[in-house]
Amino acid sequence: MVAETLFAVRRNARLYRRSLGAVVRAVLEYVADFWILIAAGIVTQSLGLVFLSVVMSRVPHLNGWSYPEMVLIYGLAGVSSGIVPVLSDGIWQLASFIHNGQLDYALTRPAPPLMQVMSAWVGFNGVGDLVASAAMLTWALTRVDVHWTPLNVLILLILMISGIALRLAMCVVANTVSFWLRMPMPMFAMTAWQVGELARYPLGIYGFGLRFLLGAAAPFAFAGFFPAAWLLDRGGYAWLGILTPVVAVLWWIFAVWLFRRGLRRYDSAGH
Amino acid sequence: MALLEAHDLTKTFRRPEKDPGLRGSFKHLFQRKYSTKTAVGGVDLSIEAGEAVAYVGPNGAGKSTTIKLLTGIVEPTSGEVRIGGLVPHRNRVANSRQIGVLFGQRTQLWWDLPVRESLALLRDMYDLSPDRFRAQLKRFDEVLGLDELLPVVARKLSLGQRMRADLACALLHDPRIVFLDEPTIGLDIAVKDRVREFLRQLKAEGTTIMLTTHDLGDIEDTCERIVIIDGGRVIYDGSLAQVKDRYARERRVHLQLGSELTVTELADRFPQATVTAGAEGRREFTIAFDKAELTAGAVLAGVAQIAEVLEVKIDEPAIEDVVRKVYAGELLLAEGSTP
Repeated sequence: MVAETLFAVRRNARLYRRSLGAVVRAVLEYVADFWILIAAGIVTQSLGLVFLSVVMSRVPHLNGWSYPEMVLIYGLAGVSSGIVPVLSDGIWQLASFIHNGQLDYALTRPAPPLMQVMSAWVGFNGVGDLVASAAMLTWALTRVDVHWTPLNVLILLILMISGIALRLAMCVVANTVSFWLRMPMPMFAMTAWQVGELARYPLGIYGFGLRFLLGAAAPFAFAGFFPAAWLLDRGGYAWLGILTPVVAVLWWIFAVWLFRRGLRRYDSAGH
Repeated sequence: MALLEAHDLTKTFRRPEKDPGLRGSFKHLFQRKYSTKTAVGGVDLSIEAGEAVAYVGPNGAGKSTTIKLLTGIVEPTSGEVRIGGLVPHRNRVANSRQIGVLFGQRTQLWWDLPVRESLALLRDMYDLSPDRFRAQLKRFDEVLGLDELLPVVARKLSLGQRMRADLACALLHDPRIVFLDEPTIGLDIAVKDRVREFLRQLKAEGTTIMLTTHDLGDIEDTCERIVIIDGGRVIYDGSLAQVKDRYARERRVHLQLGSELTVTELADRFPQATVTAGAEGRREFTIAFDKAELTAGAVLAGVAQIAEVLEVKIDEPAIEDVVRKVYAGELLLAEGSTP
């Protein structure tokens, strides 16, 4: 049983990699698009940082957080959201796949349909996001006041990976809603993504409503702010950061369940 | 047990009922009204391994929906399907290894990739060994001329080339049963012939085939069984020869005579037949009759007694004519016929 599961996981991982690789080769057919998208990612992230810097030059501490700490949160959230387009940009096409009946063939192949959808496209803007966010993160990590031990480096890595997994799951859930909405555009998911941008700042600056939204209902805060709070051992939020892996697993279970429910509603197109 | 068993298969769609125009659409936001449309209603079907079945019917009859139900793409509203003991929409992954699917209207090739890469991705999904993959490509090259398409990016393919590549995709893993939904749609004669040749070969190799088409030329030399569907219901299921035998009995003998005759003179001689004069008035006639009541030989012998026969041409109706009449509602086929 365990061996079978492991075999399936390895097989799917290989298929996922092969599928993404094929798309990368396809995108590289259009060289200009490739560079423009990467540049776009870097510019977007840098603009966000400029905004943050302007604010922080007026107020040296925001809700008790210093500038490097703010950049740490910003960069951490940026890394997790930047990986989503690289690993699963195809999920944004789910709404149009459903609308145009383009899931037909995916459902007749021996690979999980969700995997086939996620790996249907690669968003190179994510590479730009990642480069810029990783640079911010590196800059911030060398400036914040943390006593580094092998253990907290390891835990930080686990929290980052969990944060990425959580963002992916949330993105799947937000797009899977398209099975019920039937619009050719993923409006719901795009709105949700915008909400996620709010989670790149300390949660304490918001009122109760937004704190509840970002910390519990749509817990984007686990993909940046809570892990940062844990690392910096800050306030009442530190213990929440360590829960990130649990939250990520729960969201993935929900995402897979929801996607399966959605597929049962799939009607294809035409007769 | 048959390879494919479908029992009382039904699919209904819920359709919003809107008044026309923007106004109607706004109204629908607040007063939701839906109607249900039955795309497929209670289809029973059983296909034995090795059979080749033509599934025909007018546009909107429910052909594609049936294929989507049988392949597990869409869940039935009610009823059951089993292919090789598996329920397609419950065991999609296991089922996909035994079925091959082609929708002529839609490609499964990766749009921005060369055909070779699409096939390689499918090879990985179906866990084909490199040797097996090479052997398959060679086989497809022989009938479909695949080699020249391998380096071409899918979006640059012509329709005929695309269909050939898609056939290779559908059959790469040697499925036990293959569903082909309009595999010759929009193709020119040369490519059509190639596809038909490929179908004949598949049949000879023992692959079970279910084929929908509007071009009945596709089925005449491949399928021995025909299922006709209309309004989501099977209205005929039986052998192709039997359909022809039972419903394509009309024969037309065209005659050119050396001497002049009148329509009445001929009609009196053959009361069971319909006689019409041709373009050349009294020297050209067409005699139509039911082959169960009269034979072409008897007609010729009868005419020869009263006039010299110069030219003879005998027309047999194609299966196409039969199906056309069924579509038009001129012919009611006996229900519940089995092969």
